[in-house]
Amino acid sequence: MSRDPHQKDGLLRGYPPAWRARYGDELLAMVEEDLGGRRPTRRFRLSLVSAGLRERAHEAGMIGAGPSAAGPVRAGSLVILCAWAAFVLAGASFSKVAEHFARAVPVASRTLPQDAFTAVAALGVSAAVLVALGALIALPSFVRFVRAGGWPSVRGHVHRAIGLSVLMAAGLVPLSVWAHHLDTVQRNGGDAAYAAVIGAWSLVVAATLAQWTAAGVAAARRITFSPALLRLESLMAVIVAGAMLAITAATALWWAAMAHDAPWFLTGTASVGSHHPSPFDVQLVATLALMTVAVLTAAYGVYRIVRFRARLGVT
Amino acid sequence: MTKKRQPAGLRRANDPPVLILTSLAAGAKHGHALARDIKEFAGVNLGPGALYGAITRLEERGLIEPLDSDDRRRPYRITRAGSAALAEVVHDMRRLADVGAARLGLTWGSTA
Repeated sequence: MSRDPHQKDGLLRGYPPAWRARYGDELLAMVEEDLGGRRPTRRFRLSLVSAGLRERAHEAGMIGAGPSAAGPVRAGSLVILCAWAAFVLAGASFSKVAEHFARAVPVASRTLPQDAFTAVAALGVSAAVLVALGALIALPSFVRFVRAGGWPSVRGHVHRAIGLSVLMAAGLVPLSVWAHHLDTVQRNGGDAAYAAVIGAWSLVVAATLAQWTAAGVAAARRITFSPALLRLESLMAVIVAGAMLAITAATALWWAAMAHDAPWFLTGTASVGSHHPSPFDVQLVATLALMTVAVLTAAYGVYRIVRFRARLGVT
Repeated sequence: MTKKRQPAGLRRANDPPVLILTSLAAGAKHGHALARDIKEFAGVNLGPGALYGAITRLEERGLIEPLDSDDRRRPYRITRAGSAALAEVVHDMRRLADVGAARLGLTWGSTA
Protein backbone atom coordinates (compact mmCIF):
# COMPACT_ATOMS: atom_id res chain seq x y z
CA MET A 1 0.00 0.00 0.00
CA SER A 2 1.52 3.26 -1.00
CA ARG A 3 -1.25 5.79 -0.44
CA ASP A 4 -0.14 6.70 3.05
CA PRO A 5 3.11 8.53 3.61
CA HIS A 6 3.24 7.54 7.31
CA GLN A 7 3.25 3.89 6.37
CA LYS A 8 6.25 4.54 4.15
CA ASP A 9 7.91 6.11 7.17
CA GLY A 10 7.49 2.76 8.86
CA LEU A 11 5.22 3.92 11.69
CA LEU A 12 3.66 0.48 11.84
CA ARG A 13 6.80 -1.54 11.22
CA GLY A 14 6.77 -2.93 14.77
CA TYR A 15 3.36 -4.56 14.28
CA PRO A 16 2.92 -8.13 13.02
CA PRO A 17 1.69 -8.38 9.40
CA ALA A 18 -1.67 -9.98 10.32
CA TRP A 19 -2.37 -7.18 12.79
CA ARG A 20 -1.42 -4.51 10.21
CA ALA A 21 -3.77 -6.11 7.72
CA ARG A 22 -6.64 -5.98 10.21
CA TYR A 23 -6.09 -2.70 12.09
CA GLY A 24 -3.34 -0.85 10.21
CA ASP A 25 -5.55 1.33 8.05
CA GLU A 26 -7.75 2.57 10.88
CA LEU A 27 -4.78 3.12 13.18
CA LEU A 28 -3.13 5.24 10.49
CA ALA A 29 -6.39 7.16 10.02
CA MET A 30 -6.36 7.95 13.75
CA VAL A 31 -2.69 8.91 13.64
CA GLU A 32 -3.40 11.32 10.78
CA GLU A 33 -6.26 12.91 12.72
CA ASP A 34 -4.13 13.15 15.87
CA LEU A 35 -1.22 14.74 14.07
CA GLY A 36 -3.32 17.07 11.92
CA GLY A 37 -0.64 17.37 9.25
CA ARG A 38 2.34 17.71 11.64
CA ARG A 39 5.25 15.31 11.45
CA PRO A 40 5.24 12.61 14.14
CA THR A 41 7.72 13.28 16.94
CA ARG A 42 10.39 10.76 17.87
CA ARG A 43 8.50 9.95 21.07
CA PHE A 44 5.30 9.34 19.13
CA ARG A 45 7.13 7.01 16.73
CA LEU A 46 8.74 5.14 19.61
CA SER A 47 5.38 4.67 21.34
CA LEU A 48 3.99 3.08 18.16
CA VAL A 49 7.05 0.88 17.69
CA SER A 50 6.85 -0.35 21.27
CA ALA A 51 3.08 -0.91 20.96
CA GLY A 52 3.79 -2.92 17.79
CA LEU A 53 6.40 -5.03 19.54
CA ARG A 54 3.94 -5.64 22.39
CA GLU A 55 1.43 -6.77 19.77
CA ARG A 56 4.02 -9.18 18.33
CA ALA A 57 4.65 -10.56 21.82
CA HIS A 58 0.89 -10.97 22.27
CA GLU A 59 0.57 -12.73 18.95
CA ALA A 60 3.38 -15.12 19.88
CA GLY A 61 1.67 -15.86 23.21
CA MET A 62 4.60 -14.37 25.16
CA ILE A 63 2.49 -11.87 27.12
CA GLY A 64 -1.18 -11.52 28.00
CA ALA A 65 -3.88 -14.16 28.06
CA GLY A 66 -4.81 -14.38 24.38
CA PRO A 67 -8.00 -15.93 23.04
CA SER A 68 -7.02 -19.46 24.16
CA ALA A 69 -4.60 -21.10 26.60
CA ALA A 70 -2.84 -22.95 23.76
CA GLY A 71 -0.93 -19.81 22.68
CA PRO A 72 0.73 -19.03 26.03
CA VAL A 73 1.44 -22.72 26.78
CA ARG A 74 3.00 -23.24 23.35
CA ALA A 75 5.00 -20.01 23.70
CA GLY A 76 6.21 -21.04 27.16
CA SER A 77 7.40 -24.39 25.80
CA LEU A 78 9.18 -22.70 22.89
CA VAL A 79 10.86 -20.21 25.22
CA ILE A 80 12.25 -23.20 27.12
CA LEU A 81 13.41 -24.77 23.85
CA CYS A 82 15.30 -21.57 22.96
CA ALA A 83 16.78 -21.40 26.46
CA TRP A 84 17.85 -25.03 26.07
CA ALA A 85 19.67 -24.23 22.82
CA ALA A 86 21.69 -21.54 24.62
CA PHE A 87 22.23 -23.96 27.47
CA VAL A 88 23.72 -26.56 25.12
CA LEU A 89 26.36 -24.02 24.08
CA ALA A 90 27.13 -23.29 27.73
CA GLY A 91 27.33 -27.03 28.38
CA ALA A 92 29.80 -27.52 25.52
CA SER A 93 31.90 -24.67 26.91
CA PHE A 94 31.81 -26.25 30.37
CA SER A 95 32.91 -29.65 29.07
CA LYS A 96 35.90 -27.91 27.42
CA VAL A 97 36.78 -26.03 30.64
CA ALA A 98 36.48 -29.19 32.73
CA GLU A 99 38.50 -31.36 30.34
CA HIS A 100 40.86 -33.67 32.36
CA PHE A 101 39.98 -31.90 35.64
CA ALA A 102 40.21 -35.11 37.68
CA ARG A 103 43.98 -35.28 37.10
CA ALA A 104 44.39 -31.88 38.76
CA VAL A 105 42.50 -32.71 41.94
CA PRO A 106 44.17 -34.55 44.83
CA VAL A 107 42.67 -38.05 45.12
CA ALA A 108 41.30 -37.38 48.61
CA SER A 109 39.25 -34.40 47.33
CA ARG A 110 38.10 -35.87 44.05
CA THR A 111 34.66 -37.14 45.08
CA LEU A 112 32.72 -33.85 45.18
CA PRO A 113 33.87 -32.33 41.85
CA GLN A 114 33.61 -35.76 40.21
CA ASP A 115 30.04 -36.25 41.47
CA ALA A 116 29.08 -32.72 40.42
CA PHE A 117 30.56 -33.30 36.95
CA THR A 118 28.77 -36.65 36.64
CA ALA A 119 25.50 -34.96 37.63
CA VAL A 120 26.01 -32.27 34.95
CA ALA A 121 26.66 -34.92 32.31
CA ALA A 122 23.81 -37.22 33.35
CA LEU A 123 21.26 -34.41 33.62
CA GLY A 124 22.47 -32.93 30.32
CA VAL A 125 22.03 -36.23 28.47
CA SER A 126 18.62 -36.82 30.10
CA ALA A 127 17.38 -33.36 29.12
CA ALA A 128 18.73 -33.78 25.57
CA VAL A 129 16.87 -37.09 25.26
CA LEU A 130 13.71 -35.38 26.50
CA VAL A 131 14.07 -32.59 23.92
CA ALA A 132 14.60 -35.18 21.16
CA LEU A 133 11.56 -37.10 22.41
CA GLY A 134 9.54 -33.88 22.34
CA ALA A 135 10.50 -33.37 18.69
CA LEU A 136 9.70 -37.01 17.91
CA ILE A 137 6.19 -36.96 19.35
CA ALA A 138 5.50 -33.71 17.48
CA LEU A 139 6.60 -35.33 14.19
CA PRO A 140 3.16 -36.70 13.13
CA SER A 141 1.64 -33.23 13.64
CA PHE A 142 4.51 -31.75 11.61
CA VAL A 143 3.91 -34.25 8.78
CA ARG A 144 0.20 -33.33 8.74
CA PHE A 145 1.20 -29.64 8.65
CA VAL A 146 3.52 -30.22 5.68
CA ARG A 147 0.89 -32.27 3.83
CA ALA A 148 -1.61 -29.48 4.40
CA GLY A 149 0.70 -27.12 2.48
CA GLY A 150 2.65 -25.60 5.37
CA TRP A 151 6.12 -26.43 4.04
CA PRO A 152 6.77 -23.08 2.26
CA SER A 153 6.37 -21.22 5.57
CA VAL A 154 9.28 -23.12 7.19
CA ARG A 155 11.30 -24.08 4.11
CA GLY A 156 13.72 -21.16 4.38
CA HIS A 157 14.57 -21.94 8.01
CA VAL A 158 15.12 -25.63 7.29
CA HIS A 159 17.26 -24.96 4.21
CA ARG A 160 19.47 -22.55 6.15
CA ALA A 161 19.79 -25.05 8.99
CA ILE A 162 20.77 -27.84 6.57
CA GLY A 163 23.31 -25.58 4.85
CA LEU A 164 24.93 -24.68 8.17
CA SER A 165 24.93 -28.34 9.25
CA VAL A 166 26.77 -29.30 6.06
CA LEU A 167 29.29 -26.51 6.65
CA MET A 168 29.78 -27.67 10.24
CA ALA A 169 30.27 -31.30 9.22
CA ALA A 170 32.63 -30.32 6.39
CA GLY A 171 34.80 -28.43 8.86
CA LEU A 172 34.87 -31.25 11.40
CA VAL A 173 36.97 -33.73 9.40
CA PRO A 174 39.94 -31.46 8.52
CA LEU A 175 39.85 -30.00 12.05
CA SER A 176 40.04 -33.48 13.59
CA VAL A 177 42.98 -34.39 11.34
CA TRP A 178 44.72 -31.13 12.21
CA ALA A 179 44.09 -31.61 15.96
CA HIS A 180 45.56 -35.13 15.72
CA HIS A 181 48.90 -33.62 14.67
CA LEU A 182 49.02 -31.12 17.56
CA ASP A 183 50.04 -31.67 21.18
CA THR A 184 47.84 -30.75 24.18
CA VAL A 185 49.32 -27.26 24.63
CA GLN A 186 48.90 -26.41 20.94
CA ARG A 187 45.31 -27.66 21.01
CA ASN A 188 44.53 -25.46 24.01
CA GLY A 189 45.50 -22.06 22.69
CA GLY A 190 49.19 -22.67 21.97
CA ASP A 191 48.66 -22.60 18.20
CA ALA A 192 47.11 -19.28 17.19
CA ALA A 193 45.99 -20.46 13.73
CA TYR A 194 44.32 -23.56 15.17
CA ALA A 195 42.65 -21.47 17.91
CA ALA A 196 41.30 -19.02 15.31
CA VAL A 197 39.90 -21.80 13.11
CA ILE A 198 38.37 -23.57 16.11
CA GLY A 199 36.81 -20.24 17.15
CA ALA A 200 35.30 -19.77 13.69
CA TRP A 201 34.06 -23.37 13.61
CA SER A 202 32.48 -22.91 17.08
CA LEU A 203 30.57 -19.94 15.70
CA VAL A 204 29.28 -22.13 12.85
CA VAL A 205 28.19 -24.73 15.44
CA ALA A 206 26.37 -22.02 17.44
CA ALA A 207 24.73 -20.66 14.27
CA THR A 208 23.68 -24.19 13.26
CA LEU A 209 22.09 -24.80 16.64
CA ALA A 210 20.36 -21.42 16.55
CA GLN A 211 19.05 -22.05 13.03
CA TRP A 212 17.65 -25.51 13.86
CA THR A 213 16.01 -23.98 16.93
CA ALA A 214 14.55 -21.20 14.80
CA ALA A 215 13.24 -23.82 12.34
CA GLY A 216 11.68 -25.76 15.21
CA VAL A 217 10.07 -22.63 16.64
CA ALA A 218 8.78 -21.52 13.22
CA ALA A 219 7.19 -24.93 12.64
CA ALA A 220 5.82 -25.35 16.17
CA ARG A 221 4.18 -21.92 16.02
CA ARG A 222 2.23 -22.94 12.93
CA ILE A 223 1.34 -26.54 13.78
CA THR A 224 -2.01 -27.32 15.37
CA PHE A 225 -1.38 -29.43 18.46
CA SER A 226 -4.13 -31.26 20.30
CA PRO A 227 -4.58 -30.12 23.93
CA ALA A 228 -3.33 -33.54 25.13
CA LEU A 229 -0.15 -33.31 23.03
CA LEU A 230 0.45 -29.71 24.08
CA ARG A 231 -0.03 -30.72 27.71
CA LEU A 232 2.59 -33.48 27.29
CA GLU A 233 5.04 -31.25 25.40
CA SER A 234 4.73 -28.50 28.01
CA LEU A 235 5.26 -30.99 30.84
CA MET A 236 8.45 -32.19 29.14
CA ALA A 237 9.53 -28.57 28.69
CA VAL A 238 9.04 -27.87 32.40
CA ILE A 239 11.14 -30.95 33.25
CA VAL A 240 13.88 -29.73 30.89
CA ALA A 241 13.79 -26.33 32.62
CA GLY A 242 14.16 -28.12 35.97
CA ALA A 243 17.13 -30.08 34.60
CA MET A 244 18.72 -26.80 33.45
CA LEU A 245 18.42 -25.39 36.96
CA ALA A 246 19.93 -28.56 38.47
CA ILE A 247 22.78 -28.54 35.91
CA THR A 248 23.56 -24.91 36.74
CA ALA A 249 23.63 -25.74 40.45
CA ALA A 250 25.90 -28.77 39.80
CA THR A 251 28.22 -26.63 37.66
CA ALA A 252 28.45 -24.03 40.42
CA LEU A 253 29.16 -26.83 42.91
CA TRP A 254 31.90 -28.22 40.65
CA TRP A 255 33.39 -24.74 40.39
CA ALA A 256 33.30 -24.24 44.18
CA ALA A 257 34.90 -27.65 44.76
CA MET A 258 37.61 -26.97 42.20
CA ALA A 259 38.22 -23.47 43.59
CA HIS A 260 38.68 -25.02 47.00
CA ASP A 261 40.72 -28.09 46.10
CA ALA A 262 42.47 -27.31 42.83
CA PRO A 263 42.33 -23.57 42.00
CA TRP A 264 45.50 -23.91 39.90
CA PHE A 265 43.44 -25.94 37.40
CA LEU A 266 41.03 -23.03 36.90
CA THR A 267 43.87 -20.54 36.52
CA GLY A 268 45.64 -22.76 34.05
CA THR A 269 48.79 -22.66 36.19
CA ALA A 270 50.92 -25.71 35.62
CA SER A 271 52.21 -26.35 39.13
CA VAL A 272 50.17 -27.44 42.11
CA GLY A 273 52.08 -25.18 44.46
CA SER A 274 51.31 -21.79 42.78
CA HIS A 275 50.69 -18.92 45.17
CA HIS A 276 47.16 -17.44 45.34
CA PRO A 277 45.77 -18.86 42.13
CA SER A 278 42.49 -17.16 41.16
CA PRO A 279 39.40 -19.38 40.80
CA PHE A 280 37.88 -16.95 38.28
CA ASP A 281 38.47 -18.42 34.85
CA VAL A 282 36.98 -16.11 32.20
CA GLN A 283 35.45 -18.93 30.16
CA LEU A 284 33.91 -20.51 33.25
CA VAL A 285 32.43 -17.19 34.39
CA ALA A 286 30.97 -16.64 30.90
CA THR A 287 29.66 -20.21 30.86
CA LEU A 288 27.86 -19.86 34.18
CA ALA A 289 26.52 -16.45 33.17
CA LEU A 290 25.06 -17.97 30.00
CA MET A 291 23.60 -20.86 31.99
CA THR A 292 22.01 -18.41 34.43
CA VAL A 293 20.49 -16.30 31.65
CA ALA A 294 19.15 -19.48 30.03
CA VAL A 295 17.65 -20.68 33.32
CA LEU A 296 15.98 -17.31 33.94
CA THR A 297 14.59 -17.35 30.39
CA ALA A 298 13.31 -20.89 30.90
CA ALA A 299 11.75 -19.81 34.21
CA TYR A 300 9.62 -17.31 32.28
CA GLY A 301 8.54 -20.15 29.99
CA VAL A 302 7.62 -22.26 33.02
CA TYR A 303 5.62 -19.33 34.43
CA ARG A 304 3.62 -19.04 31.19
CA ILE A 305 2.99 -22.80 31.11
CA VAL A 306 1.99 -23.12 34.76
CA ARG A 307 -0.31 -20.11 34.52
CA PHE A 308 -2.26 -21.35 31.50
CA ARG A 309 -1.84 -25.15 31.35
CA ALA A 310 -4.93 -25.93 33.43
CA ARG A 311 -7.10 -24.07 30.90
CA LEU A 312 -5.88 -26.12 27.91
CA GLY A 313 -8.81 -27.56 25.99
CA VAL A 314 -11.29 -25.42 27.96
CA THR A 315 -13.34 -23.25 25.64
CA MET B 1 -5.69 -11.60 51.13
CA THR B 2 -6.90 -12.97 47.81
CA LYS B 3 -7.18 -10.73 44.79
CA LYS B 4 -10.52 -10.91 43.05
CA ARG B 5 -10.23 -11.80 39.36
CA GLN B 6 -11.96 -9.14 37.30
CA PRO B 7 -14.33 -10.22 34.55
CA ALA B 8 -12.75 -10.75 31.13
CA GLY B 9 -9.36 -9.52 32.32
CA LEU B 10 -10.58 -6.02 33.14
CA ARG B 11 -8.86 -4.15 35.95
CA ARG B 12 -9.42 -0.76 37.54
CA ALA B 13 -10.77 2.63 36.59
CA ASN B 14 -7.90 3.97 34.49
CA ASP B 15 -7.30 0.67 32.70
CA PRO B 16 -7.59 1.38 28.93
CA PRO B 17 -10.13 -1.44 28.32
CA VAL B 18 -12.39 -0.10 31.10
CA LEU B 19 -12.11 3.43 29.70
CA ILE B 20 -12.94 2.21 26.19
CA LEU B 21 -15.95 0.19 27.37
CA THR B 22 -17.17 3.18 29.39
CA SER B 23 -16.87 5.40 26.35
CA LEU B 24 -18.60 2.91 24.06
CA ALA B 25 -21.44 2.48 26.59
CA ALA B 26 -22.60 5.90 25.36
CA GLY B 27 -22.59 4.80 21.71
CA ALA B 28 -20.38 3.53 18.90
CA LYS B 29 -17.18 5.48 18.15
CA HIS B 30 -14.06 5.22 16.01
CA GLY B 31 -10.52 5.46 17.40
CA HIS B 32 -10.06 9.22 17.37
CA ALA B 33 -13.51 9.89 18.86
CA LEU B 34 -12.83 7.31 21.56
CA ALA B 35 -9.54 8.96 22.54
CA ARG B 36 -11.19 12.41 22.63
CA ASP B 37 -14.12 11.18 24.75
CA ILE B 38 -11.81 9.38 27.20
CA LYS B 39 -9.70 12.52 27.54
CA GLU B 40 -12.87 14.47 28.36
CA PHE B 41 -14.48 12.18 30.93
CA ALA B 42 -11.38 10.64 32.55
CA GLY B 43 -8.58 13.09 31.76
CA VAL B 44 -6.53 10.19 30.39
CA ASN B 45 -4.61 10.71 27.18
CA LEU B 46 -4.61 7.39 25.32
CA GLY B 47 -2.17 7.32 22.42
CA PRO B 48 -2.98 5.39 19.24
CA GLY B 49 -0.71 2.46 20.21
CA ALA B 50 -2.25 1.97 23.66
CA LEU B 51 -5.78 2.54 22.33
CA TYR B 52 -5.50 -0.01 19.52
CA GLY B 53 -3.73 -2.51 21.76
CA ALA B 54 -6.74 -2.37 24.09
CA ILE B 55 -9.21 -2.46 21.17
CA THR B 56 -7.49 -5.62 19.88
CA ARG B 57 -7.78 -7.36 23.28
CA LEU B 58 -11.42 -6.28 23.74
CA GLU B 59 -12.38 -7.51 20.29
CA GLU B 60 -10.56 -10.82 20.91
CA ARG B 61 -12.62 -11.31 24.07
CA GLY B 62 -15.86 -10.41 22.30
CA LEU B 63 -16.47 -7.36 24.50
CA ILE B 64 -16.63 -4.95 21.55
CA GLU B 65 -17.29 -5.41 17.84
CA PRO B 66 -16.47 -3.40 14.72
CA LEU B 67 -19.24 -1.88 12.65
CA ASP B 68 -19.25 -1.73 8.87
CA SER B 69 -17.83 1.48 7.51
CA ASP B 70 -16.94 2.94 4.14
CA ASP B 71 -14.49 5.16 5.94
CA ARG B 72 -10.98 4.12 7.02
CA ARG B 73 -12.06 5.16 10.52
CA ARG B 74 -13.89 2.02 11.61
CA PRO B 75 -16.34 2.53 14.50
CA TYR B 76 -16.76 0.03 17.36
CA ARG B 77 -19.66 -0.74 19.63
CA ILE B 78 -19.92 -2.49 22.97
CA THR B 79 -21.40 -6.02 22.90
CA ARG B 80 -23.79 -7.54 25.43
CA ALA B 81 -20.84 -9.37 27.04
CA GLY B 82 -18.93 -6.07 27.13
CA SER B 83 -21.83 -4.32 28.87
CA ALA B 84 -22.05 -7.13 31.44
CA ALA B 85 -18.29 -7.01 32.08
CA LEU B 86 -18.37 -3.23 32.45
CA ALA B 87 -21.38 -3.41 34.78
CA GLU B 88 -19.49 -5.80 37.02
CA VAL B 89 -16.42 -3.57 37.12
CA VAL B 90 -18.51 -0.47 37.81
CA HIS B 91 -20.33 -2.35 40.58
CA ASP B 92 -16.99 -3.29 42.18
CA MET B 93 -15.74 0.28 41.89
CA ARG B 94 -18.92 1.60 43.46
CA ARG B 95 -18.63 -0.85 46.37
CA LEU B 96 -15.01 0.22 46.95
CA ALA B 97 -15.95 3.89 46.65
CA ASP B 98 -18.82 3.44 49.12
CA VAL B 99 -16.51 1.84 51.68
CA GLY B 100 -13.91 4.56 51.20
CA ALA B 101 -16.51 7.32 51.45
CA ALA B 102 -18.05 5.81 54.60
CA ARG B 103 -14.68 5.50 56.29
CA LEU B 104 -13.80 9.08 55.39
CA GLY B 105 -17.21 10.34 56.51
CA LEU B 106 -17.95 11.68 53.04
CA THR B 107 -21.40 12.10 51.61
CA TRP B 108 -21.80 11.64 47.85
CA GLY B 109 -22.13 14.99 46.21
CA SER B 110 -20.21 16.85 48.92
CA THR B 111 -16.90 18.45 48.12
CA ALA B 112 -15.49 18.19 51.66
